[in-house]
Amino acid sequence: MATELHAVIREPNPDEPAAGSVRQSTDFLSGNEAAARAARDIGFHVMGYFPITPSTEVAETLSKMQAAGEHDIVMIPADGEHGAAGICYGAALGGGRVLNATSSQGLLYALEQLPVQSSTRVPMVLNVATRAVSGPLDIRCDHSDIYFALNTGWIILLAREPQAVYDLNLAAIRIGEHADVRLPVLVAYDGFFTSHQKRRIRCIEDREALQAFLGEPKTPYTALDPEHPVTFGPYMNDPDLINNKKQHSLAMEAARRVIPEVFAELAELTGRSYPVLDEYRMDDAEVAVVLLNSAAETAKEVADKLRRDGTLAGVLSLNVLRPFPADGIRQALKDVKAVVVGDRADSYGADGGNLSLEVRAAIQLDPDNHTRVLTRIYGLGGKDFDDGDAEEFFNEALEVVKTGRVETPFAYHGIYAGDPHETFAQGLPAIDSAEVSRGMATVTEDPETGRLNVELKPLWAMAEVPGRIAPGHGACPGCGAFPVLHQVFSVLEGDIVVLFQTGCAMVVTTGYPKTAHRVTYIHNLFQNGAATLSGLVEMYHELIRRGELPDSRDITFVMVTGDGGMDIGMGAALGAAHRNHHMMILEYDNEGYMNTGAQLSYSTPLGHRTSTSEVGTARRGKATHHKDTAQIFAAAHIPYVFTASEGYPEDLMRKAAKAQWYAKHEGMSYGKILSFCPLNWTTTDDAAESVLQVAVDACFFPIYEVERGKTNITYDPELLDRRRPVTDWLGQMGKTKHLIKKGNEERVAAIEAEVERRWRRLKAMHEHPEL
Amino acid sequence: MNKCVLPDPEKFFEIRFESIGGLGAHAAGQILARAAVLDMDLNGSHFSSYGSEKKGSVVRSYVRLGASDRPIRTSAPIDSPDVIVVFHSALLEQDITIAGLKQSGVLIFNAAADGVPDTLARAPAASRVIRIDATNIAIEELSRPNAVLLGTLTAAAPFLDADIVLRALTEKFKQRNPQAAAANERAFKRGASEFEELHGVGQAEGDLPIIRPSPVLGYETAPIGGVIPYPGNTISNDLSMSRTGWMPLFDEEKCIHCGLCATVCPDFCLVWTHEQSNGDVPKVRLKGVDYQYCKGCMRCIETCPTEALTRVTETPGLADRLRVPLYAGGAPGEN
Repeated sequence: MATELHAVIREPNPDEPAAGSVRQSTDFLSGNEAAARAARDIGFHVMGYFPITPSTEVAETLSKMQAAGEHDIVMIPADGEHGAAGICYGAALGGGRVLNATSSQGLLYALEQLPVQSSTRVPMVLNVATRAVSGPLDIRCDHSDIYFALNTGWIILLAREPQAVYDLNLAAIRIGEHADVRLPVLVAYDGFFTSHQKRRIRCIEDREALQAFLGEPKTPYTALDPEHPVTFGPYMNDPDLINNKKQHSLAMEAARRVIPEVFAELAELTGRSYPVLDEYRMDDAEVAVVLLNSAAETAKEVADKLRRDGTLAGVLSLNVLRPFPADGIRQALKDVKAVVVGDRADSYGADGGNLSLEVRAAIQLDPDNHTRVLTRIYGLGGKDFDDGDAEEFFNEALEVVKTGRVETPFAYHGIYAGDPHETFAQGLPAIDSAEVSRGMATVTEDPETGRLNVELKPLWAMAEVPGRIAPGHGACPGCGAFPVLHQVFSVLEGDIVVLFQTGCAMVVTTGYPKTAHRVTYIHNLFQNGAATLSGLVEMYHELIRRGELPDSRDITFVMVTGDGGMDIGMGAALGAAHRNHHMMILEYDNEGYMNTGAQLSYSTPLGHRTSTSEVGTARRGKATHHKDTAQIFAAAHIPYVFTASEGYPEDLMRKAAKAQWYAKHEGMSYGKILSFCPLNWTTTDDAAESVLQVAVDACFFPIYEVERGKTNITYDPELLDRRRPVTDWLGQMGKTKHLIKKGNEERVAAIEAEVERRWRRLKAMHEHPEL
Repeated sequence: MNKCVLPDPEKFFEIRFESIGGLGAHAAGQILARAAVLDMDLNGSHFSSYGSEKKGSVVRSYVRLGASDRPIRTSAPIDSPDVIVVFHSALLEQDITIAGLKQSGVLIFNAAADGVPDTLARAPAASRVIRIDATNIAIEELSRPNAVLLGTLTAAAPFLDADIVLRALTEKFKQRNPQAAAANERAFKRGASEFEELHGVGQAEGDLPIIRPSPVLGYETAPIGGVIPYPGNTISNDLSMSRTGWMPLFDEEKCIHCGLCATVCPDFCLVWTHEQSNGDVPKVRLKGVDYQYCKGCMRCIETCPTEALTRVTETPGLADRLRVPLYAGGAPGEN
């Protein structure tokens, strides 16, 4: 027994000559880094992506490599995952190799594009670091996202450790591009457990040998051959569509044959083999567990332990989820008396998650099969699955073997009922409307100019207005979003209802079961916040109209978003603007996706370093200029648009008061507010005042408003003789220090020229009576 | 490759770094595990507990080491570590920081050499307890506490080749900041030599119990849909640990109660009162700082026109003595 055990748990020393024909080296990489390394080694043509935890590191790692000149993949930061999927589809229609990486809601946001791509038979590779699907928003691992991909017609490979992520990305190219298959391939690995855990892995050194393995991408049809024009995506109803789907189904069947062939070739190349079905000590197993990805590896350790005690335990896991290896599962479970299938996501109301339903269906086809199956929903939202959990699964199977009865075929594992006697932090009483309506800002309409005038109480008088956000939130030290919110909320009168889009201010104020919000707060994902709030606004007015809600409260509706939310959520926000709902949109602009680790946003200025616009010998920060969101909203002709800086509280508060007035009386108001982020601008925590001042004085961030269509600059550094060159601003932040070094003069000149061009244009509008 | 042999090659050797975001525990774990795998002939894995990408919250970083030919299958966090390295002594106040430490384990903590925290009595009696003033050494050497603590760790676990770890540390920061290499080396070496072994501190018998945080609410007690019907209940949070050595000090004499600081404070921790003497216009006055919520960003100091708020080094107990509570007597229903 001991010898056998030894054989089972030992693996070859990586420094001994490895099996496999290709030269390799050892590295220490996370799953995301392994996906990026594979991408570099494959040499994809195009990557379309949108950052989402926990898959973001794939693009980040590739951005670093790109800056260092290690690859020439064209990396396209999309406006959202739906856009990313479109970019990838379009690029793939051109015939080259295409990559994407996403997770959770990102996969779901892209979902409607996935069947389009697979049924039109256009291969690419999509890495999915699996993560729980909202809501409530949870960034950690489960399989609720990939379960949604089961019906998309994509091939799905499962990678249980960083090594498999690397290897299966290579295999994905060959499988998807195979002439009999021609399908896109999804490689799924567990978020955090695999995406962020670094392990020892072997990577191919001999790029030529790898290219020989991959072969040239060949496509029967391309959108880039004018000599052979083709129509992609015709209008196809019955009786044709069903035949298109039959072709798709045949391609999946072909994949059943092709996948083991490719795996065998890969094993020859690397020395690492991947069976379609990973059967661990299943030969004589009496009890087994079926688990996907990292949890299966944990269960193997427990199977070893149980075997030492004489229990015939085995672990069954899948390296390929689509096409589903039903035959193999039927065989593997033939003589198993009881099996626990662990599902890391539920199919609510189906008495099992998709994996257990499919396992049950697979063995049901064998009339002689008597395996008893238990379903356990486990590990949702990143809940750890450890030895104890695996042991409990085996014990439940053993109990069934012992009693011959299945008491509980379906159950949630690792749940907590709660203790009704437990007391809980109740927080603060609701804010009395009168308490916050103290006339800190008095708004009057000037009939001559058509503009609103605001008179503010002194700052000291505002200091005691109760905050609508309580202290105790978890923002970074020095965070600018909270001074912005504090300044705005100090002057808003009466009741407000807020909607925060996904972002820093959302995450740090509502870590369950605590909330910093003292007013009613709603979160929705940032692709849809403005639409959501507009629905609530209309419900409010309709309930009042029907007399079902008293109209005495006069609620103001405020959406709060970062600049990232105004990228992915631009469509919904502009929709709400064009419908002119009575609501405010406040954007705290810190020039990046800071909640997920400082990726570029469209508001990031040219040349700035972010984690997806790295600086190196080959790249010099972000390639395009910052988005002019205020002008976009001005073009929607809503009643009031403004820009402000948290460094000018009085200016911001005046505008906030006007924005509330317009939201009450005329429709939508929108404000873009420059907001300090010491962590990702790489400054000290207390540098806000000077860095915000110079951003404004350099005219990078002009302070103005567009009121009923008329542009007014509210702070003109030129009139005050305070105009400064943009280098004064760039020199103050770690993220831009590279720009003031020698060799970046052209970049700086380009920033200066664009800043100047926009400033002149704005001044012209300010001066012109009709603009 | 230098062959390093684990104390027990049949078992994993597991290290847990307990820290606050921004102190470098993630980088330390990564440097160590990478060096072990690539240069010490060991197998290893490294990962950290993550939340949103922000500074100032608790971070745990885990290093699992095994013999080279032993696969690492589990990706679960380290419950029963052989070594725990505590980057910030305030973390010792929480039981979970040293939970699961093996009785034969090592506890390294970063603190100045002034007294032994009472909380250390919870350590196993048989464990080694090591104190190192990593913060001060890092400040003196213009390095970071993680460089010092890695030095101490290699001294406490001598099977780890100190030269290799130091080389890996140098490699890691070479590109970003070449000047830092020499500073890090000095910090690392001082960490390896200037630690103090505290004897007779731990009182616990056997391995420390594992603590897994349990939810407060369960499926029978939580309001449906994840709703939180308790507005503002973050007031029971204590953010003191986010401060990294400094705090704002308020001098009422110098304050002109202008309210500027209120416009820049991200943590809403300034306490205002409302005073009205006979016939006068009511005056809003700054009374002080509730340090329970102050993260020490110093933006109030930057903005103060009269130096009524100044930066001071935080010494133990100072914040408690000077604190002006926002919610005197506690908030309703607080526990």
